[in-house]
Amino acid sequence: MRAEALKGHLDAMLLAALEGGPQHGYAVIEALRQSTGGRLDLPTGTIYPALRRLEQAGLIAGTWSVVGGRRRREYQLTPAGDQALSGRRADWRDFSAMVTAALEGGPCPNPA
Amino acid sequence: MPEPRLISSYLDVLAAQLPASIVEELADGLTETHRSYLRQGLAPDLAARAAVAEFGEPEMIVAGFARVNPARRAARRLLGVGPVVGACWLAALVTSRAWAVPLPARMLAGLTLAAVIALLATSALGTHYRLAARTGAAGFLGVIALDASLIVGVAFAGAPLTWVLALAMAASAARLCYAARALRPALAG
Repeated sequence: MRAEALKGHLDAMLLAALEGGPQHGYAVIEALRQSTGGRLDLPTGTIYPALRRLEQAGLIAGTWSVVGGRRRREYQLTPAGDQALSGRRADWRDFSAMVTAALEGGPCPNPA
Repeated sequence: MPEPRLISSYLDVLAAQLPASIVEELADGLTETHRSYLRQGLAPDLAARAAVAEFGEPEMIVAGFARVNPARRAARRLLGVGPVVGACWLAALVTSRAWAVPLPARMLAGLTLAAVIALLATSALGTHYRLAARTGAAGFLGVIALDASLIVGVAFAGAPLTWVLALAMAASAARLCYAARALRPALAG
Protein backbone atom coordinates (compact mmCIF):
# COMPACT_ATOMS: atom_id res chain seq x y z
CA MET A 1 0.00 0.00 0.00
CA ARG A 2 1.57 3.27 -1.16
CA ALA A 3 1.63 6.56 0.75
CA GLU A 4 -0.75 8.34 -1.68
CA ALA A 5 -3.42 5.65 -1.13
CA LEU A 6 -3.20 6.27 2.60
CA LYS A 7 -3.91 10.00 2.39
CA GLY A 8 -6.52 10.89 4.97
CA HIS A 9 -6.21 7.55 6.75
CA LEU A 10 -2.67 7.65 8.10
CA ASP A 11 -3.60 9.69 11.16
CA ALA A 12 -6.26 7.19 12.22
CA MET A 13 -3.84 4.30 11.64
CA LEU A 14 -1.20 5.99 13.79
CA LEU A 15 -3.75 6.59 16.55
CA ALA A 16 -4.78 2.92 16.36
CA ALA A 17 -1.13 1.82 16.59
CA LEU A 18 -0.82 3.79 19.83
CA GLU A 19 -4.01 2.41 21.34
CA GLY A 20 -2.16 -0.40 23.14
CA GLY A 21 0.13 1.97 25.04
CA PRO A 22 3.08 4.32 24.58
CA GLN A 23 5.37 3.62 21.61
CA HIS A 24 8.35 5.31 19.96
CA GLY A 25 8.35 6.12 16.24
CA TYR A 26 10.01 2.96 14.99
CA ALA A 27 7.76 0.76 17.15
CA VAL A 28 4.72 2.57 15.70
CA ILE A 29 5.70 1.75 12.12
CA GLU A 30 6.51 -1.83 13.09
CA ALA A 31 3.09 -2.16 14.73
CA LEU A 32 1.48 -0.81 11.54
CA ARG A 33 3.44 -3.26 9.38
CA GLN A 34 2.38 -6.15 11.60
CA SER A 35 -1.26 -5.13 11.74
CA THR A 36 -1.38 -4.75 7.94
CA GLY A 37 0.42 -8.04 7.29
CA GLY A 38 3.44 -6.22 5.84
CA ARG A 39 1.37 -4.54 3.10
CA LEU A 40 2.14 -1.05 4.34
CA ASP A 41 4.92 0.40 2.18
CA LEU A 42 5.65 3.74 3.75
CA PRO A 43 9.13 5.30 4.21
CA THR A 44 9.79 5.11 7.96
CA GLY A 45 10.97 8.72 8.05
CA THR A 46 7.55 10.04 7.01
CA ILE A 47 5.96 8.72 10.21
CA TYR A 48 7.81 11.20 12.41
CA PRO A 49 6.37 14.45 10.97
CA ALA A 50 2.91 12.81 11.11
CA LEU A 51 3.42 12.02 14.80
CA ARG A 52 4.44 15.65 15.45
CA ARG A 53 1.31 16.83 13.64
CA LEU A 54 -0.88 14.63 15.83
CA GLU A 55 0.95 15.90 18.89
CA GLN A 56 0.35 19.52 17.87
CA ALA A 57 -3.32 18.68 17.42
CA GLY A 58 -3.40 17.39 21.01
CA LEU A 59 -4.32 13.85 19.96
CA ILE A 60 -1.10 12.29 21.25
CA ALA A 61 1.46 13.41 23.83
CA GLY A 62 5.22 12.90 23.47
CA THR A 63 7.72 12.37 26.28
CA TRP A 64 11.49 11.88 26.23
CA SER A 65 13.30 9.02 27.92
CA VAL A 66 16.84 7.64 27.70
CA VAL A 67 17.28 4.11 26.34
CA GLY A 68 20.71 2.58 25.83
CA GLY A 69 22.33 6.02 26.12
CA ARG A 70 20.09 7.44 23.38
CA ARG A 71 17.28 9.92 23.84
CA ARG A 72 13.99 8.41 22.74
CA ARG A 73 10.64 10.09 22.20
CA GLU A 74 7.60 8.04 23.05
CA TYR A 75 4.03 8.92 22.22
CA GLN A 76 0.76 7.99 23.84
CA LEU A 77 -2.87 8.73 23.10
CA THR A 78 -4.47 11.63 24.93
CA PRO A 79 -8.17 11.47 25.91
CA ALA A 80 -8.88 13.65 22.84
CA GLY A 81 -6.92 11.18 20.70
CA ASP A 82 -8.86 8.27 22.14
CA GLN A 83 -12.11 10.04 21.28
CA ALA A 84 -10.85 10.95 17.79
CA LEU A 85 -9.91 7.31 17.16
CA SER A 86 -13.40 6.12 18.10
CA GLY A 87 -14.91 8.70 15.75
CA ARG A 88 -12.55 7.77 12.90
CA ARG A 89 -13.40 4.06 13.36
CA ALA A 90 -17.13 4.73 13.18
CA ASP A 91 -16.67 6.96 10.11
CA TRP A 92 -14.53 4.31 8.41
CA ARG A 93 -17.09 1.55 9.05
CA ASP A 94 -19.86 3.68 7.51
CA PHE A 95 -17.68 4.75 4.58
CA SER A 96 -16.36 1.27 3.77
CA ALA A 97 -19.87 -0.26 4.05
CA MET A 98 -21.18 2.38 1.64
CA VAL A 99 -18.36 1.90 -0.91
CA THR A 100 -18.60 -1.91 -0.65
CA ALA A 101 -22.34 -1.75 -1.27
CA ALA A 102 -21.80 0.54 -4.28
CA LEU A 103 -19.01 -1.55 -5.80
CA GLU A 104 -20.28 -5.04 -5.08
CA GLY A 105 -24.02 -4.53 -4.93
CA GLY A 106 -26.32 -5.47 -2.11
CA PRO A 107 -27.94 -3.35 0.53
CA CYS A 108 -26.05 -0.59 2.28
CA PRO A 109 -26.39 -1.02 6.05
CA ASN A 110 -27.89 1.91 7.91
CA PRO A 111 -25.34 3.93 9.88
CA ALA A 112 -25.33 3.17 13.60
CA MET B 1 28.70 -0.49 18.34
CA PRO B 2 30.07 2.35 16.17
CA GLU B 3 27.57 4.02 13.85
CA PRO B 4 28.20 3.16 10.18
CA ARG B 5 29.42 6.10 8.12
CA LEU B 6 26.36 5.98 5.85
CA ILE B 7 24.05 6.49 8.83
CA SER B 8 26.11 9.33 10.32
CA SER B 9 26.25 11.07 6.89
CA TYR B 10 22.49 10.68 6.53
CA LEU B 11 21.94 12.20 9.99
CA ASP B 12 24.37 15.03 9.17
CA VAL B 13 22.20 15.99 6.18
CA LEU B 14 19.14 16.09 8.44
CA ALA B 15 20.99 17.96 11.22
CA ALA B 16 21.92 20.71 8.77
CA GLN B 17 18.23 21.49 8.23
CA LEU B 18 16.28 20.37 11.31
CA PRO B 19 16.39 21.18 15.05
CA ALA B 20 18.50 18.94 17.30
CA SER B 21 15.50 17.44 19.13
CA ILE B 22 13.96 16.22 15.85
CA VAL B 23 17.30 14.81 14.66
CA GLU B 24 17.70 12.95 17.99
CA GLU B 25 14.34 11.30 17.48
CA LEU B 26 15.17 10.37 13.89
CA ALA B 27 18.59 9.05 14.97
CA ASP B 28 16.92 6.74 17.49
CA GLY B 29 14.51 5.46 14.83
CA LEU B 30 17.29 4.98 12.28
CA THR B 31 19.42 3.10 14.82
CA GLU B 32 16.48 0.81 15.61
CA THR B 33 15.91 0.22 11.88
CA HIS B 34 19.59 -0.60 11.41
CA ARG B 35 19.53 -3.02 14.34
CA SER B 36 16.49 -4.80 12.99
CA TYR B 37 18.39 -5.48 9.72
CA LEU B 38 21.41 -6.66 11.71
CA ARG B 39 19.15 -9.09 13.58
CA GLN B 40 17.97 -10.40 10.22
CA GLY B 41 21.60 -11.32 9.48
CA LEU B 42 22.75 -8.51 7.18
CA ALA B 43 26.35 -7.26 7.38
CA PRO B 44 26.66 -3.83 9.11
CA ASP B 45 27.18 -1.85 5.88
CA LEU B 46 24.37 -3.63 4.05
CA ALA B 47 22.12 -3.18 7.09
CA ALA B 48 22.95 0.55 7.09
CA ARG B 49 22.12 0.81 3.40
CA ALA B 50 18.82 -0.99 3.92
CA ALA B 51 17.96 1.17 6.95
CA VAL B 52 18.65 4.42 5.09
CA ALA B 53 16.62 3.21 2.09
CA GLU B 54 13.72 2.25 4.36
CA PHE B 55 13.81 5.64 6.09
CA GLY B 56 13.39 7.55 2.81
CA GLU B 57 15.02 10.53 1.13
CA PRO B 58 16.21 13.19 3.62
CA GLU B 59 14.55 15.91 1.49
CA MET B 60 11.19 14.19 1.89
CA ILE B 61 11.60 14.00 5.68
CA VAL B 62 12.71 17.65 5.89
CA ALA B 63 9.72 18.71 3.76
CA GLY B 64 7.42 16.70 6.05
CA PHE B 65 8.71 18.49 9.13
CA ALA B 66 8.56 21.86 7.36
CA ARG B 67 4.83 21.31 6.84
CA VAL B 68 4.28 20.77 10.59
CA ASN B 69 6.64 23.55 11.68
CA PRO B 70 4.78 25.37 14.49
CA ALA B 71 6.34 28.71 13.45
CA ARG B 72 4.92 28.32 9.94
CA ARG B 73 1.46 27.55 11.28
CA ALA B 74 1.54 30.49 13.71
CA ALA B 75 2.74 32.84 10.93
CA ARG B 76 -0.21 31.76 8.76
CA ARG B 77 -2.66 32.42 11.58
CA LEU B 78 -1.17 35.85 12.30
CA LEU B 79 -1.37 36.75 8.61
CA GLY B 80 -4.98 35.59 8.63
CA VAL B 81 -6.04 37.69 11.61
CA GLY B 82 -3.95 40.71 10.54
CA PRO B 83 -6.66 42.35 8.37
CA VAL B 84 -9.24 41.89 11.16
CA VAL B 85 -7.04 43.57 13.77
CA GLY B 86 -6.10 46.25 11.23
CA ALA B 87 -9.77 46.95 10.47
CA CYS B 88 -10.47 47.29 14.21
CA TRP B 89 -7.70 49.88 14.55
CA LEU B 90 -8.76 51.74 11.43
CA ALA B 91 -12.30 52.01 12.80
CA ALA B 92 -10.95 53.06 16.21
CA LEU B 93 -8.68 55.76 14.75
CA VAL B 94 -11.45 57.13 12.52
CA THR B 95 -14.08 57.24 15.28
CA SER B 96 -11.71 58.69 17.90
CA ARG B 97 -10.18 61.15 15.39
CA ALA B 98 -6.71 60.03 16.43
CA TRP B 99 -5.14 60.81 13.07
CA ALA B 100 -3.00 63.56 14.57
CA VAL B 101 -0.07 61.18 15.06
CA PRO B 102 3.22 62.79 13.87
CA LEU B 103 4.26 61.83 10.33
CA PRO B 104 7.59 60.16 11.33
CA ALA B 105 5.71 57.91 13.80
CA ARG B 106 3.18 56.97 11.14
CA MET B 107 5.96 56.22 8.65
CA LEU B 108 7.85 54.12 11.22
CA ALA B 109 4.69 52.16 12.02
CA GLY B 110 3.99 51.61 8.32
CA LEU B 111 7.52 50.40 7.59
CA THR B 112 7.47 48.10 10.63
CA LEU B 113 4.13 46.68 9.54
CA ALA B 114 5.44 46.03 6.01
CA ALA B 115 8.55 44.31 7.41
CA VAL B 116 6.45 42.17 9.78
CA ILE B 117 4.14 41.10 6.95
CA ALA B 118 7.16 40.19 4.77
CA LEU B 119 8.73 38.16 7.59
CA LEU B 120 5.49 36.32 8.41
CA ALA B 121 4.84 35.61 4.72
CA THR B 122 8.38 34.20 4.32
CA SER B 123 7.78 31.94 7.32
CA ALA B 124 4.27 30.93 6.24
CA LEU B 125 5.37 29.94 2.74
CA GLY B 126 8.80 28.57 3.68
CA THR B 127 9.78 25.00 2.94
CA HIS B 128 13.09 25.34 4.78
CA TYR B 129 12.49 24.51 8.45
CA ARG B 130 15.13 26.77 10.01
CA LEU B 131 14.43 29.74 7.74
CA ALA B 132 10.70 29.46 8.49
CA ALA B 133 11.45 29.31 12.23
CA ARG B 134 13.83 32.30 12.18
CA THR B 135 11.74 34.56 9.98
CA GLY B 136 8.71 33.51 12.02
CA ALA B 137 10.46 34.43 15.29
CA ALA B 138 11.45 37.85 13.87
CA GLY B 139 7.88 38.37 12.63
CA PHE B 140 6.41 37.42 16.03
CA LEU B 141 8.74 39.93 17.72
CA GLY B 142 7.57 42.55 15.24
CA VAL B 143 3.91 41.77 16.01
CA ILE B 144 4.61 42.04 19.75
CA ALA B 145 6.39 45.40 19.25
CA LEU B 146 3.62 46.76 17.01
CA ASP B 147 0.74 45.72 19.25
CA ALA B 148 2.51 46.84 22.43
CA SER B 149 3.24 50.24 20.81
CA LEU B 150 -0.39 50.64 19.75
CA ILE B 151 -1.79 49.77 23.18
CA VAL B 152 0.75 51.89 25.12
CA GLY B 153 0.50 54.74 22.59
CA VAL B 154 -3.29 54.96 22.93
CA ALA B 155 -3.06 54.74 26.72
CA PHE B 156 -0.57 57.64 26.84
CA ALA B 157 -2.40 59.72 24.24
CA GLY B 158 -5.37 59.92 26.58
CA ALA B 159 -7.89 59.37 23.79
CA PRO B 160 -11.47 58.85 25.04
CA LEU B 161 -12.12 55.13 25.44
CA THR B 162 -14.88 54.18 23.03
CA TRP B 163 -16.10 50.62 22.55
CA VAL B 164 -14.43 50.54 19.12
CA LEU B 165 -11.10 51.54 20.65
CA ALA B 166 -11.54 49.00 23.45
CA LEU B 167 -12.25 46.32 20.84
CA ALA B 168 -9.11 47.25 18.87
CA MET B 169 -7.00 47.19 22.04
CA ALA B 170 -8.43 43.81 23.04
CA ALA B 171 -7.74 42.42 19.54
CA SER B 172 -4.15 43.67 19.72
CA ALA B 173 -3.70 42.26 23.24
CA ALA B 174 -4.97 38.83 22.11
CA ARG B 175 -2.68 38.88 19.06
CA LEU B 176 0.26 39.97 21.21
CA CYS B 177 -0.33 37.02 23.59
CA TYR B 178 -0.55 34.59 20.68
CA ALA B 179 2.68 35.91 19.10
CA ALA B 180 4.46 35.71 22.47
CA ARG B 181 3.35 32.10 22.90
CA ALA B 182 4.50 31.21 19.37
CA LEU B 183 7.90 32.86 19.91
CA ARG B 184 9.45 30.21 22.18
CA PRO B 185 9.05 27.17 19.90
CA ALA B 186 10.14 29.31 16.94
CA LEU B 187 13.34 30.34 18.74
CA ALA B 188 14.00 26.68 19.60
CA GLY B 189 13.80 25.78 15.89
